[in-house]
Amino acid sequence: MPNQNGNVYGLTILSPIINDEKATPSHDLQIRKYLATLPTGEDSPFAKTPGTHLARLVVMDDVIYVGMPACEEHLKSKYLIFESNLDGGPNGDLDSYLGGLAQNIPEHLDAIWSHCVGYPGAANSQAFINYMKSCQLETTFFFAAVNDKSLPETLRALQTQRAVTNFIAAHQGMEPRQLQADFVRFASELKAAPVPPAGSMSPRREIKTGGRNE
Amino acid sequence: MSKLNETDIQGFVLRGYNMPVARYLFLQLKDASSARTLVRRLLHEITTGQHWDGGKPQSTLNIAFTHRGLTALELPDATLLSFPVEFQQGMKKRAAILGDIGLNSPEHWDEVWRTESVHAWLGVNALSTEALETRCSAIAALLDETGRATIVGAQDAASAIVNGKQTTGEHFGFTDGFGNPDYLGFARSSQPGQGKLMPDGTWAPLATGELLLGYADEAGELPVAPVPHILAANGTFMVYRKLHQNLATFRAFLDENAPRYGGGKEKLAAKFIGRWRDGTPLELSPDSPDQSIVKDPQRNTNFTYSADSDGTRCPVGAHIRRVHPRDAFGFNGRLIDRRRITRRGLPYGRFAPESEQVSDAEERGVIFMALNASISRQFEFVQQQWIEYGNDARQGNDKDMLLGNHGGQGKYVIQGDRSPANPPFVCAHLPNFVELRGGDYFFLPSITALGMIAMDLVDPR
Repeated sequence: MPNQNGNVYGLTILSPIINDEKATPSHDLQIRKYLATLPTGEDSPFAKTPGTHLARLVVMDDVIYVGMPACEEHLKSKYLIFESNLDGGPNGDLDSYLGGLAQNIPEHLDAIWSHCVGYPGAANSQAFINYMKSCQLETTFFFAAVNDKSLPETLRALQTQRAVTNFIAAHQGMEPRQLQADFVRFASELKAAPVPPAGSMSPRREIKTGGRNE
Repeated sequence: MSKLNETDIQGFVLRGYNMPVARYLFLQLKDASSARTLVRRLLHEITTGQHWDGGKPQSTLNIAFTHRGLTALELPDATLLSFPVEFQQGMKKRAAILGDIGLNSPEHWDEVWRTESVHAWLGVNALSTEALETRCSAIAALLDETGRATIVGAQDAASAIVNGKQTTGEHFGFTDGFGNPDYLGFARSSQPGQGKLMPDGTWAPLATGELLLGYADEAGELPVAPVPHILAANGTFMVYRKLHQNLATFRAFLDENAPRYGGGKEKLAAKFIGRWRDGTPLELSPDSPDQSIVKDPQRNTNFTYSADSDGTRCPVGAHIRRVHPRDAFGFNGRLIDRRRITRRGLPYGRFAPESEQVSDAEERGVIFMALNASISRQFEFVQQQWIEYGNDARQGNDKDMLLGNHGGQGKYVIQGDRSPANPPFVCAHLPNFVELRGGDYFFLPSITALGMIAMDLVDPR
């Protein structure tokens, strides 16, 4: 089934960027500028809205002619590409995810998509959802890095892995009775600990704007 | 593939000289004309790859240039701009890519590297200290005579001597110097485990173009090289890194962790690197060192990891398994054939026996020199992905135990089994056992190319 792999949903949206010769700088450059300054990690807009495993925003100017024997082709418009791997649940609930974006990061959405043709704004959640879905392409194949676990489950697993490693490092060779007592305490503390915030478990990476996919 | 023209290739590229002492001189050139005169005067002294029928010479001499050096020699702009970007930039500007940050950042480097003042490297290897001094005096006299190049730095290096015999030991007590790849066309006899793994389990030499410019590489392409072709062919690129070793920190860490590790201190040390300190590969002899393996060239590099995917013999993050993963990533090892480097170099600083009190501040480490056709594809990839990151080795963000720039935050997981002598173990709060003190990227030209540089004949048109 397209778009869906277990509980993970692969979303692809192509929004045509406004082509206005009078706009200076052009709308596509204004999007590029805004994207280049987006924060990463816990401060990323996609960490502030639930359910995003990974997301990517790309401005696509045109298809690049690479020389013979390729044939020269062009797009009708510049496009903003939005890709996201998200928690869709068993029924691929896209509306909830898009509604969550509109609710949590409307200022980012408006700053980016207001340069796109026909964008209704994020204030009207249903209009936003309808707009995004009208720009959606089927995703037939996407990066499946999370073994069908939800974002909170993944964050919890990383938290557990890190905590257990630290526990082992601190308790190797300890006398069994003490080890057991410490482990019981450790396990109950870990169980009670809140799920770490999205974007907090990976090393800090800056936004890359050059388009090199590595 | 026919035999290479050994007289046109610098000997340093074709073979490790295996001489006990060395001095690396760093030159700053003044004007192009006198620098050319200097290269011309040195030309007939450069040691080539020609066979030594009459035994080893007393000393050898080799030469390489930074991009600044080639600029000082006033090579044509079209040539200078055709060198790969990373070589044009030099190692200091690549710090972020290499993970040379924090304790390893350029602000902590020796002044000669911090100020990027090196134009040329002269490598002198010798059979004795006397021969080294004689050769270096002759070079100094030549520099005085031509007058326009200054020695801005000199680095001595020497093999460890044990019971009067030259060894390949380094300061942490490990035996080093296994594992250089074989290349097509090299006269050196091949050794199983040294080239690339073939589907039938045998080993074959790597394509010449993985080391030398001007020859097909493992992709069947010519490596990226400067123009004209004749300047590049039979040359290579060299990475020079001065790696300081915090010996006191290493010994204290080992002593502190060994009592908690069921396998004992020597096994713990072996698990860091993948070889017992005497050089025995853990993969072939997980329970004890075995000199019969170390001394047997048919066995000492002849192993793979596919039967040890859990890392219970050699940990999956052990140093030798990271930097030369053999078949550890599957696909019969094909994923690593374009990531191999050839290592030269020697330890520097005084060797301290285990019984002696040492301090991290003492000048001691290893001069790491790597030769490869593409610094970015080979050395920089290994440094960035396999030393300073762990994803390919399925070790998450963990870095190489010994070489990683941990800054006190690192961890290292030793896989184990149910045997009490081989338990799993986690090393945490890793300090930097090794710190970078500087270095740069060099171009090691062929003899023909040196002649062209000396005679101002380089023409990219």
